[in-house]
Amino acid sequence: MSGLLPDIRIVRPSDVAAAIAAREQHPQSRFIAGGTDLLVNMRHGLIAPQSLIDISRIDELTTIEMGAAGLRVGSGVTVAALARHPAIARDYRAISQAANAIAGPGHRAMGTVGGNLCLDTRCLFYNQSEWWRQANGFCLKRDGEICHVAPQGKRCHAAFTGDLAPAFLALGAEVEIAGKQGRRRIPLGDIYVEDGLAHLAIAEDDLIVAVHLPPTAAASAYAKVRLRGAVDYPLAGVAVALGVRGDSVASIRIALTGTNSRPFVLGGTDALIGRPLSERSLQQIEQLVQKQARPMRTTIASAHYRRLAAAASARRITAALYAEQSG
Amino acid sequence: MTAVTVSGKARGVPLIDGIDKVTGRARYTADLDHAGALIGRIFRSPVSHGEIVRLDVSKARALDGVVAVVTGADCPHTYGVLPVAMNEYPLARERVRYRGEPIAAVAAVDAETAARAIGLIECEVRELPAYYTSAQARAPDAVQLHANKPGNLEREVHHEFGDVKAGFAAADLVREAQISCAEVNHAQIEPHACLADYNPLTGRLTMQSVSQVGYYLHLMLARCLEMDTSRIRIIKPFIGGGFGARAEVLNFEIVTALLARAATGKVLTKLTREENFLTHRARPQTDIKLKLGMRGDGRLTACECEVVQRGGAYAGYGIVTILYAGALLQGLYDIPAVKYDGYRVYANLPPCGAMRGHGGVDSRHAFECLLDRMARELSLDPFAVRRANLLEAPTRTLNDLMVNSYGLGECLDRVERASRWRERIGTLPAGKGLGMACSHYVSGAAKPVHWTGEPHAAVNVRLDFDGGVTALTGAADIGQGSSTMVAIAVAETLGIALDQVRVIAGDSAITPKDNGAYSSRITFMVGNAAIDAARKLKSILTGEAARKLEARVEDIECIAETFRVGTGGQASLPFIDVVKAALADRGPITVSGTFTCPPEAQGGKHRGGAVGSTMGFSYAAQVVEVSIDDATSSVSVDKVWVALDCGHAINPLAVEGQIEGSVWMGLGQALSEETHYVNGLPAHASILEYRVPTMAESPPIKVEIVESHDPNGPFGAKEASEGALAGFPPALVNAVANALGIDLDELPVTPDRIHQALLERRRAKRLAAVQEALS
Ligand SMILES: Cc1cc2nc3c(=O)[nH]c(=O)nc-3n(C[C@H](O)[C@H](O)[C@H](O)COP(=O)(O)OP(=O)(O)OC[C@H]3O[C@@H](n4cnc5c(N)ncnc54)[C@H](O)[C@@H]3O)c2cc1C
Ligand code: SF4
Repeated sequence: MSGLLPDIRIVRPSDVAAAIAAREQHPQSRFIAGGTDLLVNMRHGLIAPQSLIDISRIDELTTIEMGAAGLRVGSGVTVAALARHPAIARDYRAISQAANAIAGPGHRAMGTVGGNLCLDTRCLFYNQSEWWRQANGFCLKRDGEICHVAPQGKRCHAAFTGDLAPAFLALGAEVEIAGKQGRRRIPLGDIYVEDGLAHLAIAEDDLIVAVHLPPTAAASAYAKVRLRGAVDYPLAGVAVALGVRGDSVASIRIALTGTNSRPFVLGGTDALIGRPLSERSLQQIEQLVQKQARPMRTTIASAHYRRLAAAASARRITAALYAEQSG
Repeated sequence: MTAVTVSGKARGVPLIDGIDKVTGRARYTADLDHAGALIGRIFRSPVSHGEIVRLDVSKARALDGVVAVVTGADCPHTYGVLPVAMNEYPLARERVRYRGEPIAAVAAVDAETAARAIGLIECEVRELPAYYTSAQARAPDAVQLHANKPGNLEREVHHEFGDVKAGFAAADLVREAQISCAEVNHAQIEPHACLADYNPLTGRLTMQSVSQVGYYLHLMLARCLEMDTSRIRIIKPFIGGGFGARAEVLNFEIVTALLARAATGKVLTKLTREENFLTHRARPQTDIKLKLGMRGDGRLTACECEVVQRGGAYAGYGIVTILYAGALLQGLYDIPAVKYDGYRVYANLPPCGAMRGHGGVDSRHAFECLLDRMARELSLDPFAVRRANLLEAPTRTLNDLMVNSYGLGECLDRVERASRWRERIGTLPAGKGLGMACSHYVSGAAKPVHWTGEPHAAVNVRLDFDGGVTALTGAADIGQGSSTMVAIAVAETLGIALDQVRVIAGDSAITPKDNGAYSSRITFMVGNAAIDAARKLKSILTGEAARKLEARVEDIECIAETFRVGTGGQASLPFIDVVKAALADRGPITVSGTFTCPPEAQGGKHRGGAVGSTMGFSYAAQVVEVSIDDATSSVSVDKVWVALDCGHAINPLAVEGQIEGSVWMGLGQALSEETHYVNGLPAHASILEYRVPTMAESPPIKVEIVESHDPNGPFGAKEASEGALAGFPPALVNAVANALGIDLDELPVTPDRIHQALLERRRAKRLAAVQEALS
């Protein structure tokens, strides 16, 4: 309940190499970009870094480039800048829609792409004040022994709730990461694992530099399930990228957020390729989502609803994307 | 600022303090001069229910930078609302009854030290069983929260008016509904804060706080600190919203005063948003069982209603709330017989209190939903059913409430026309629906909770050498525009420009006592008192003008700041010259105006009859149009048409704002707002998880103002700030029923609830089909 921020040291490196070095130099440190997730969590006593490496002034991170090779979005690009980029709205619509659906205007102006991809997982037993969590006996994810959501289990089911990840995943994104060993590029999906306690599979001091997207012929869309039309995190979010040739599905990739501890690409959709999208295909999509989405009672809204609404949303936007492209 | 004419059709004026607010000049409690103030912080119970076995504050006290620590031992007095139900200590003594209840508090040189000191407090509690629902708390073997309250009932109400049995016997259709409304919170934008300054040399305490009820705060501080009331001064800074959250004295205010005295200095306490939710005092979770009897033509024959409110751990306004829930079943329609059974239950949760539409909202919701369902069964239009049951003013209801003006019929006509109801109902595409409902609210409780025999409102008006007119009022402007209303009442009565009047409000050392901003009493009572004061001043000035102009007093008029003889172009005198003459004659002038509700307005003789009694009701009707998303089941409100009878709109602009605000607050309760406790811990205690509608949910609201000219209201006015709230949730639920054909029994109408209802309907249909196939 104290809600106070402790005394912290702020370091402001001006390039990526200096940021990595600073992270190493200050052992109890964290990267901070927009701070819209990190500061809230610090006020709740969920993390207590002694230093913050502010990466918001690194030029390399703040550019968007679009060319023959596709799209490169710097990790420091703000959600607002992404949301209003006209070429992204045209060619990668799901990303634009997801960006526009994040939080409120103030958060979008501050929040960044990198912060959004590295968002901590959320749970109604976890995103509470220190007083609250202490009165509740803490939990596995922080300071405690048990999980209040699944007390028999040994793992944390906190949900990943970033809106951008599914849009990027559906469009086949890769991330460029800078670390102690230099730079590397890996599929975005590889940085996540299904574990609410440690959902990021990159090293603590790895810095996400940029997201790369291949050029695409697929049309895409993002649908977000939430109680209010602004501010709310997704109860479930679905991105679909669908390519159509003639009347047949040429490519389809569906990705989800908000339901599991990581954002993920829906498995089993390849079977829909090469055929027109039929009612049966849409039913299959709903079934796949219902099977693979695993929402738990981490939100006030019921888990059952989140799963069904995710499935219905996947069906709806897939049908719409197909209708749009198949004459 | 432009002058207004009451009779003219001007749209009204911006609030006189509005510009200060939007330009950032206004000082709220947290912006006051805190130089040298210590920071107050509260240690709260981590458990829901238990006996305090050990409380050790010695380590906190020993910490460098801590100036004072107070505990329950420092205050052996309870506080509360009704004299018969003050059962709460500012800091728990012996027993805690909800998670978050204050147990101790510290004042330290800064916030960090205060937080550290809180961490050093040791408290051992022997836990008792805790109850989080009315049913658990009312179970026969439940431990009592309060020794003198068996069954964990704060109050049972049993009222019966008219012949209920005969009423149901005469009905063509009798139907019942069980409806449950979630607990909601005011979620006012400005978090609670107060600044207490104790001067040990003079023994005087000055308290600046967010209170809506400075007078009651004054009384409670005197009681709890055992101070003489004359040693206390209460000042109200700008307030960022009340809605009832501050309609009773709050524990942190008394705790801060205790700290200031213990520290012999100034203490500032600012509560976090989570602490605001723990302080609560809002609308309780409510279960309603309602039975209505109706003739084939829609005429009501009888009403039977049971209301169970989960009131939280202490009494607060509880008795008033449970009485309102029954009393306000009447006064809107003509019902021949009404039976009411109300139960106010204690539970181990933050105490509930008054919230906009106090007591009436949830039972009105049930009533308007059932009315629509029965209309449907009888193939009657929702408007026709309401029209079949209109009152005729002047009248008195069965429970002896006075109705002297009644514009509900016109409200119905206006929204029916504006929404093109007749053309559109039944013709909307799939997933869209229209619904309507009515509501009303009191214009101030005619009998104050704290009875002293004094006038119910008083306003002083001053005139001095500067020629400006100063109105002094204790009424708390909490954003609703009451200071502007006082300024207009005085300016209009005197015949001077609005900006010639300055209003000073809410300082107990300067302004006359006022009971506070609750039950929508200010316009009616303080407005009348302001007119009374202004008339007295006018009579002095007119006398003076008559003397100077050598005319008869009856012939003098003041229009546009000029005193004239008659209406012709004869002799005239500027306002300021008359003022100078009057001052020369008698020195600085202060006049006092008052208003008192006559005994016949103060309710029936039955027990609890004072609650619901009022000088007049506002009336409202509204139509709500919704769309429901077939993938996510979420409801969006496309448009609202609302008409409110406020008697007379003293400031139409402010009235419109208040009606929109009421509708919008009803929208929150209807669509998304609800508290959610995990073993007594509020999981909703942030502006993220407590879902107040955002701009994205806010529909266009078309407001129609109806003026029924109440014979006793100031310029004919009644209240305008609460009446339209209670109609929104039922209008929305009725619109969802119109769109989907499902009747929802729970508020709020969240997508998961709709989704569940649709699933159940599908299941029921399938079952019915199977049964049919088998038979
Ligand atoms: C009320 C509220 C509502 C919100 N609603 C939504 C919502 O609807 N949808 C949504 O997606 N988000 C929402 N957010 C979260 C947040 O605003 C956004 O996700 C935002 O994009 C986060 O970016 P940031 O730059 O502010 O992150 P920060 O808070 O700066 O960082 C978040 C985390 O990422 C790490 N990090 C940041 N940048 C990098 C990098 N380049 N490399 C490696 N690690 C990095 C940080 O160390 C930290 O752990 C909401 C937040 C609030 C307060
Ligand atoms: S899922 Fe369980 S362990 Fe994870 S944050 Fe929630 S309660 Fe804690």
